[in-house]
Amino acid sequence: MTNIIDPIAEIDESRVGDQDVVIGKSRIIFRRFMRNRTAVAGLFIFVALFLFSIFGGFLTQWDKDTLDPLNIGMPPSPDHLLGTTQAGIDLMALIVDGTRTSILIGLIVGGVSVLISAVYGCTMAFFGGKVDATMLFILEALIMMPAILVVAVATSGSGGLKDLPSWLLLVVVLLFFSWMGTARLVRSLSMSLMQRDYVKAAKYMGVPSRRIVWRHLVPNIGSLLVLDFTRGITGAILAEVAFSFIGIGIKLPDVSLGVLIGQATGQVSSFPWMFWVPLTVMFLLTGSLAMMNDGLRDAFDPSSSSIGRAKTKTAKKVTK
Amino acid sequence: MSTNTTPVERLRDAGLYSPGDAVLSVRDLNVRFNSENGVVHAVRGVDFDLMPGKTLGIVGESGSGKSVTSMAVMGLLPETADITGSVRFKGKELLGLSDKAMCKHRGSDIAMVFQDPLSSLTPVYTVGTQIIEALTVHNPTMSKQAKEARAVDLLRMVGIPSPKDRLKAFPHEFSGGMRQRVMIAIAIANDPRVLIADEPTTALDVTIQAQVLEVLHTAQEETGAAVVMITHDLGVVAGMADDIMVMYAGKPVETGTVEDIYYNPRMPYTLGLLGAVPRIDTATKQSLVPIEGTPPNLALPVTGCSFAARCPMVSDACLHGEPELFPVPGVSVPGVEGQTLGHKAACIKAEELSGNADAHKIFHAPPKPVSKFDGVARVERDKVLELKDVKKHFPLLKGALIKRRIGTVKAVDGLSFDIREGECVSIVGESGCGKTTTLLEIMEFHPDQVGEVVIGGVSNKVATDHKTKMAMRKEMQMVFQDPTGALDPRFTVYEVLAEPLENLGMPKAAIRKRIMELMKLVGLQPDHVNRFPNQFSGGQRQRIGIARALAVNPKLVVLDEPVSALDVSVQAGVINLLDQLRAELGLSYLMVAHDLSVVRHISDRVAVMYLGNIVETGDVDDVFDNPRHPYTRALLSAIPVPDPQLERTRERIILEGDLPSPLDAPKGCNFATRCPVFAALPAAKQEKCLTLEPPLASEEEGAQDFACFFPDGEIDADMLVVHA
Repeated sequence: MTNIIDPIAEIDESRVGDQDVVIGKSRIIFRRFMRNRTAVAGLFIFVALFLFSIFGGFLTQWDKDTLDPLNIGMPPSPDHLLGTTQAGIDLMALIVDGTRTSILIGLIVGGVSVLISAVYGCTMAFFGGKVDATMLFILEALIMMPAILVVAVATSGSGGLKDLPSWLLLVVVLLFFSWMGTARLVRSLSMSLMQRDYVKAAKYMGVPSRRIVWRHLVPNIGSLLVLDFTRGITGAILAEVAFSFIGIGIKLPDVSLGVLIGQATGQVSSFPWMFWVPLTVMFLLTGSLAMMNDGLRDAFDPSSSSIGRAKTKTAKKVTK
Repeated sequence: MSTNTTPVERLRDAGLYSPGDAVLSVRDLNVRFNSENGVVHAVRGVDFDLMPGKTLGIVGESGSGKSVTSMAVMGLLPETADITGSVRFKGKELLGLSDKAMCKHRGSDIAMVFQDPLSSLTPVYTVGTQIIEALTVHNPTMSKQAKEARAVDLLRMVGIPSPKDRLKAFPHEFSGGMRQRVMIAIAIANDPRVLIADEPTTALDVTIQAQVLEVLHTAQEETGAAVVMITHDLGVVAGMADDIMVMYAGKPVETGTVEDIYYNPRMPYTLGLLGAVPRIDTATKQSLVPIEGTPPNLALPVTGCSFAARCPMVSDACLHGEPELFPVPGVSVPGVEGQTLGHKAACIKAEELSGNADAHKIFHAPPKPVSKFDGVARVERDKVLELKDVKKHFPLLKGALIKRRIGTVKAVDGLSFDIREGECVSIVGESGCGKTTTLLEIMEFHPDQVGEVVIGGVSNKVATDHKTKMAMRKEMQMVFQDPTGALDPRFTVYEVLAEPLENLGMPKAAIRKRIMELMKLVGLQPDHVNRFPNQFSGGQRQRIGIARALAVNPKLVVLDEPVSALDVSVQAGVINLLDQLRAELGLSYLMVAHDLSVVRHISDRVAVMYLGNIVETGDVDDVFDNPRHPYTRALLSAIPVPDPQLERTRERIILEGDLPSPLDAPKGCNFATRCPVFAALPAAKQEKCLTLEPPLASEEEGAQDFACFFPDGEIDADMLVVHA
């Protein structure tokens, strides 16, 4: 045993002589994420769908505006891989377009709402007092507002926003209603960060408030924001599907997964592919995000058990 | 295996138990965890025998594996841990038992008292329910009345007043010390044979610590249980333990009786630990023994002596093969009653250390630094900080919608003192006495405050604009208690140190130069500036915190418990650094600390606070050697001394109860409710304490000020305790 010198172990040791092996936080998070198989699968599916929504158009020579009068309401065939609608439009082209719209809505709403809530929440926590009370009141009031009515009114075109494409309109409305929960979370988290000694230290050094928020608070709630970003995407996609399904979200000629599912519900028995294909894509999309989110949560949470067991590893060592 | 084993050993090997044998016997215990850095070998071969009714103290710094050992014995480690070896309770193997089987032993045969009393009781059940729960689990046949009677008995035993009524109280209605008593009551509910106390007093105030140690002592006497006392504080175990096991890097490095360990340490680590603790009973100002470096990384195999990297006596032989625990030659007296371990040390140089080895010489402790102000009389030095009648009262409000004031909490009630150049003033007292509020009041520095704060000649009454405030911030900086919390985890050391300098608008090149200076000043390697705080040990982090405070060249540094979060061995290094900086840079310190030994070591003057008032203040030697106020006397007597013989014969004043809520502070002397002198006074004299507030004044010129009518009064006999 003692005669065998492992060169890698020696390198490790020389590093330790200087200082204990310290691994960067981002590397630990990455490693932990990669250890969660489900999460990696989720990431893989999401990336695949994302690529599909951009390059999927090359898989079919049809586009969503062209009718194929020879194939009306046909099931999947070599000509139309996913079949056609009862108007003769290629379903593949529709799905590619719909997925793109859904992902776009999800990414924009998820990203921007996280930004809004981070800034809003940190401001509330940092200034406290009257500022906090007023901003909290506005936030509570927004939570009370019935989102569905506002969406219905806004997308029906009576809000004077007719010239905007319907998906952008939906993005704006969804954004308006999506950031409050996170903002409250950010507020309470920042409030506890405010009690940390390093924030106090900066205050006692006379560092201006704006700089404290920007340099000490925002980076330290980063992991929460990342988590909330993926959660926000899922939420936005689901909301879009739900609104479009009942007919108040995306309006034709724009296509989204919700629109496709909504259109097909009446004819599940006669044109099943028209219902099941967009539903499967939606499920893959939200499902993959949920799987990823689970892995991210594990990766960011230092107390999670994703470190693995000592038992199995030592057993391996013994057999060596 | 050798053939000449004793009958007891043969019985044990056969899995049987003889009455005279150890109740708990641990053999070759190994614990491994997985971590991001690989498998960590946290406990590497621990052996001990615990005799019935005896106390074993396990001492070591954090990460030495002492808590993991106790958790392994209790079967409380997560399933992911790999545990090998043997843990026998009365001859029965406990390792490998299922959780369900272990539950039979936990709480009835082996019980545990945890460190944090605030989180170990369920807040939604009354303490009575929780004690009765412990009884029900192991005695299903016991009647309800019997259980209740037993619970009352238990609460009385641990010294909770009016136990019958308190049974229905919820944990939040108890103070920390009281909760720890309840925890002890639950632990001894089923007459355990082994009681494991994992740092039972670390989270408590010194006066409360003395009470809880007393309760543990009674509990042990009442139940006859053997106690495993896990602690990092050599003082706490000195009076309690029969045997000591010193752990380092997951391995016991020295075992023996208390006398062996304290008076005749044979392992350099033990010697260093003993020298690193400041003593409250010595006035001689000598620097402490620092143990440089950090414990080894246990994710890697240990090839030589694990302490070699930090040992001043290291030689080539130490690096080859880890030394086993060998009996120390010539000192062990076989056959002495209670000599269960024998004096053993894991050091190949154990013999060289025999006799009276001087830790200061071996560990190259630096000489005590001398400040340029030391020769100047106090009255001739400039004042760097002056407080005049500073008050901080918090209104106590009640009501959900419309708040009405039902009282005032006088956190700080008229404080006046000053700090001169080059001196260190400490504020001591129990938590809740207002010492942290005082610091915050000074740091806030706002014109609307009640009372005047003058820092470097600038009064808070005139500091209205940003510029004067910045000037004041330059004069005074703060070092925080928790070095981890005080540094932004996302900043490199460079950014941490650059922040105050950038704030002053210093040019980039100058900042760079200054940071290199600072790193050298606090004894860190300048090329470590690009590392993150989590890449440093606790002591190094505190050095970074100190460097940040010194960045702007302040005159006064406010230290909020600067070493209480650090290990003893590291603490000594930081204290020495503070001492040295004070002398070299002519700094003044305002320190808040609960560890009076540290205060005695580092301070020139001390102020004892009780309920928002200073009750005694003066030169540290005057106050500590000749305390006049009964509260100071009680505080001082509560500090355990790392000297077993002294600790066993010393008279102790055990204060009853906790700090009263500032809300119902007594009318006359604040301290009257807990005062040991007051309790012994005749009723006629008590009247004076209850109606008049004693002024803070000195008896003779040059002596300390104190606020008591009967400074040298006799102490109530009930509150005096001596351990035989």
